[in-house]
Amino acid sequence: MPDYGQFQSAGGTLDTRWFLLVASILFVLGAIGVLVRRNPIVILVCIELMLNAVNLTLIAFSRQLNNLEGQLFALMTMVVAASEAVVGLAVLVDIFHFRDVEDVDELNELRG
Amino acid sequence: MVAQAIFWIASAVAILGGVGVITLRQPINAVLSLVAVMLALSVLFLLLSAQFIFAVQIIVYAGAVMVLFLFVVALLGPGRERTRGGLRLHWSLSLLVALPFFGVLWAMLSGVRFRAPQKADLATFGSVQQIGIGLFTKYLFPFELTSILLLVAAVGAIYLSRGERAGHGAGTADEDQDDRA
Repeated sequence: MPDYGQFQSAGGTLDTRWFLLVASILFVLGAIGVLVRRNPIVILVCIELMLNAVNLTLIAFSRQLNNLEGQLFALMTMVVAASEAVVGLAVLVDIFHFRDVEDVDELNELRG
Repeated sequence: MVAQAIFWIASAVAILGGVGVITLRQPINAVLSLVAVMLALSVLFLLLSAQFIFAVQIIVYAGAVMVLFLFVVALLGPGRERTRGGLRLHWSLSLLVALPFFGVLWAMLSGVRFRAPQKADLATFGSVQQIGIGLFTKYLFPFELTSILLLVAAVGAIYLSRGERAGHGAGTADEDQDDRA
């Protein structure tokens, strides 16, 4: 049974698994960032990192299967990520009108 | 060989940038690290013969979205993170969650068996023409929905970030400050 994971690129043979490994490392780094960082802007940045890692897996599988739908899905992800960043940053700017937030744990007004 | 060298260099830049995003204290440095990650990822997209996504990644992501992040960081000032007590435990607990998660990802990855690829003309794969045909025939409805999503996001952002509230927002903000004081 041939190894379908490998494919020919312009300058040599590449393996889809390498791309998936890089994507999973980036996704886990983004998840760690969301967990440990306290600045709300940096948390949004880490979410963008995770979305980019998912895009890499979509495009890698798209190339492995020679199926263009993965790239179309990646485009949709980019649109949703851009919308999410815009609305998230607008919410942050609105909060920062009231006061400086150095730590997301300070935003606890909704606590009962 | 050339493609593999490009792959490893771009991957190293992407992973180092990802480490920078989660370790650099100044938010502006974290945002600039993410720009480096996105540029490295665009190189990987080019290796995967996704030329259009490569251009969109550079223009829309590294260009527009990250400039928006930089604007907001510049607007809100350099919010250096405090290192309060318990941060070390915070890190170790997060690693306790994240490392098994990576292990699960790695286990799925090492056991994956790929399906046979379809026949496709690799000369035009990922070109603007092919992407356009996909977007405007089979995926026309989702494509139109994304335009509505972008409109809603733009209207929401303008509503949230407009300057003066009509008497409501300022009052609650003052009360809030009093409560906290």
